[in-house]
Amino acid sequence: MEQGLQNLETLSFYVMLMAYTLCMIFYWVWIGTKKELMGLFATYLTIAALVANTSAILLRMIIAGRPPLSNSYEFLLTFVWGITVVYLFIEYRYKLRSLGAFIMPISVMILMFIIMSMGAEERIAQAIPPALKSQWLTFHVVTATLAYGAFAISFGLGIMYLLKLSKESTGKKSNPQGIISHFPALDIIDELSYKVIGFAFPLLTLCIITGAIWANYAWGTYWSWDPKETWSLITWIIYAAYLHARLMYGWKGKRAAWMTVFGFAAVLFTFFGVNYFLPGLHSYASSQSSMFV
Amino acid sequence: MKEQGDGIVEDIWRFFSSMKLGLALLGLIALVAGVGTVFPQVNLEPEKAKTVAQIWQTLGFTQIYSTSWFRLLLGLLCINLIVCSLQRFQGIYHRTFVLRPPESVSTVPNKVKAKMVGDGEPLQKSVLDVLQRSGFKVTTKLSDKGWSFIAIKRRLGNWGSLISHISFVVLVIGAILGVTMGFKGFFMTGAGTTIPIESINVSKGTVKQDFSVHIYSAEDRFLPNGERDNWYTDMGIIENGKEMIRETISVNHPLTYKGVTFYQSSFANGVSLTVDIKDQKIPVVLQDHGGNYFQAPGTDLYLIVAAIKSDPQKPIIFYQVYKGKGVEPVQTGQLNAGQTIDVQGEYKLTLEGNAGFTGLQVKQDPGVMVVWLGCALLLLGLLLSFYWRTIVVLGVFQSGPGADGELTIGAMAGKVAGGVQQEFDRLIRDIQAK
Repeated sequence: MEQGLQNLETLSFYVMLMAYTLCMIFYWVWIGTKKELMGLFATYLTIAALVANTSAILLRMIIAGRPPLSNSYEFLLTFVWGITVVYLFIEYRYKLRSLGAFIMPISVMILMFIIMSMGAEERIAQAIPPALKSQWLTFHVVTATLAYGAFAISFGLGIMYLLKLSKESTGKKSNPQGIISHFPALDIIDELSYKVIGFAFPLLTLCIITGAIWANYAWGTYWSWDPKETWSLITWIIYAAYLHARLMYGWKGKRAAWMTVFGFAAVLFTFFGVNYFLPGLHSYASSQSSMFV
Repeated sequence: MKEQGDGIVEDIWRFFSSMKLGLALLGLIALVAGVGTVFPQVNLEPEKAKTVAQIWQTLGFTQIYSTSWFRLLLGLLCINLIVCSLQRFQGIYHRTFVLRPPESVSTVPNKVKAKMVGDGEPLQKSVLDVLQRSGFKVTTKLSDKGWSFIAIKRRLGNWGSLISHISFVVLVIGAILGVTMGFKGFFMTGAGTTIPIESINVSKGTVKQDFSVHIYSAEDRFLPNGERDNWYTDMGIIENGKEMIRETISVNHPLTYKGVTFYQSSFANGVSLTVDIKDQKIPVVLQDHGGNYFQAPGTDLYLIVAAIKSDPQKPIIFYQVYKGKGVEPVQTGQLNAGQTIDVQGEYKLTLEGNAGFTGLQVKQDPGVMVVWLGCALLLLGLLLSFYWRTIVVLGVFQSGPGADGELTIGAMAGKVAGGVQQEFDRLIRDIQAK
């Protein structure tokens, strides 16, 4: 029974990988050709990828008998899920399909990272140390997934903004068939990016707070300046600075777009950089499970 | 002289009320915090921290978060936040509760604005009706030339920024209370022992309580599938000879008594033994891998358990006995459950069975509730700021020569117009539809 479920989970993972890769290609083809059919394929493939992603997460949950949020592989799976959920909402709500050409490569790169850096034994469900058996961990990681997913979207919007701006600032008349012509007006991209960060920032705050509550229950210390905590605080400070600069000094446009890029770089470092270069209390979050409690 | 003094105070106030200062301090704190993740920190990796070059250790880079200059940065940020909050309080209060309809068209905001023409009285009725139905609190004013109004919706949103800034100060107060008034300690002991709280190893603060902790049992439980379930400690608190509370704790499920919290932190295998010396029976619990020792009274013999084969039914130990300061054991051997041996002709030793050793983190932190209050305020402030944004709509109707006139209506949008524009457009459509 369990072997069958594991096979199904592996199948879901590869279907998801294929669907994400294909939708990324279709978004690129659509943005280059403007053929509506290509765009529809891209959107439907993204939905299919999300379904496969969800089923991989649910199957892992059934196999492990716990929320699938306890190691790098499981978090990355939910991180990609978070990016896709937020992206599909934005595409549906703001009719912004061109964003997919910048967001889907992030998902594909994360999945490629899983394939290249994690062996099969690291991807199977493993026993978790007692400290990770907490409902607070579930809240902590779910909020991180959605916040990080939204920050990935703001990063994609920032890149779109900078590309469009560099094209427009050259003074050349925009090619009506060109890639940039699919992008919305600069101020719309800028405003949307702000809205996405406004959605994600309280979630990141909640993520840090639930992490502190969990740490207090598990270790009796709500804040220990462990590298992961510290980098999540640095990420929080970068986005707080973005919001202050925007709301008080009217920082918009190019400077704001660069800040979304720096912010997402901090998000990636908080996850990858800290897990692989600066291990601390969150050492269990790396792919090698540890018995630290 | 007084004027000069006032000038200095004003300068200091202006310096600390600057948002640029706040942003610069945030940037510095982020930078220093980032540097602290590159250097091994004493509180996280004490052994590694000792290997860092002396110059960095002297400058405090291996305990960066407790250096006085890092605390100074946090203190300056707190002062900045308090001053900024005080300075902005009155403005927010006025923007929320003391709203006055505009006197003229020039005071209607420009960024989000519309004009409409119509008969004064029905138009006023439509505007009031639409705004009130949309949840606005409306204040109107009549004048010779026509009428004006100001309307506010989701007024609590105005306080979001202030609440979230103050919450940081609350968080810092909570942390200071924890550091100055609490303590942090650890003890590891076997089942069946009683430990006075003041005798535990304390790494921070001082223990002022005088109760004792009795460990009934410590268990490393496994699930049927072989995975570790959790570590459990059945413990009681004894005060003035009376058991006040008895509870089983585990990782993520601590016990708090009189502000002191016990966290299950680690576990080690151990065994319970009986020492029969001069017709006196002494119960002893010893930890695996020589974690502790037993010195028989009146002798210089030290007994340790070097290894345990922890069969739940029949534990077997490998013991070693040392004499005085000798580094080589004078007696070694294996002992099965229920078996008795003679130790150097001084006493008899019997292995009774398994006994878990529990490692408990003990903490008193009177600031923790203040920290949670700060967290709640921070979250409330952010939710109000981003999900409950205040909208203020205001307008001036100027009568023309006849009954008709022109209504200039606008919305305060601050630096962000997008969301406000949508709601404003909807209001205008509703008013025009009437």
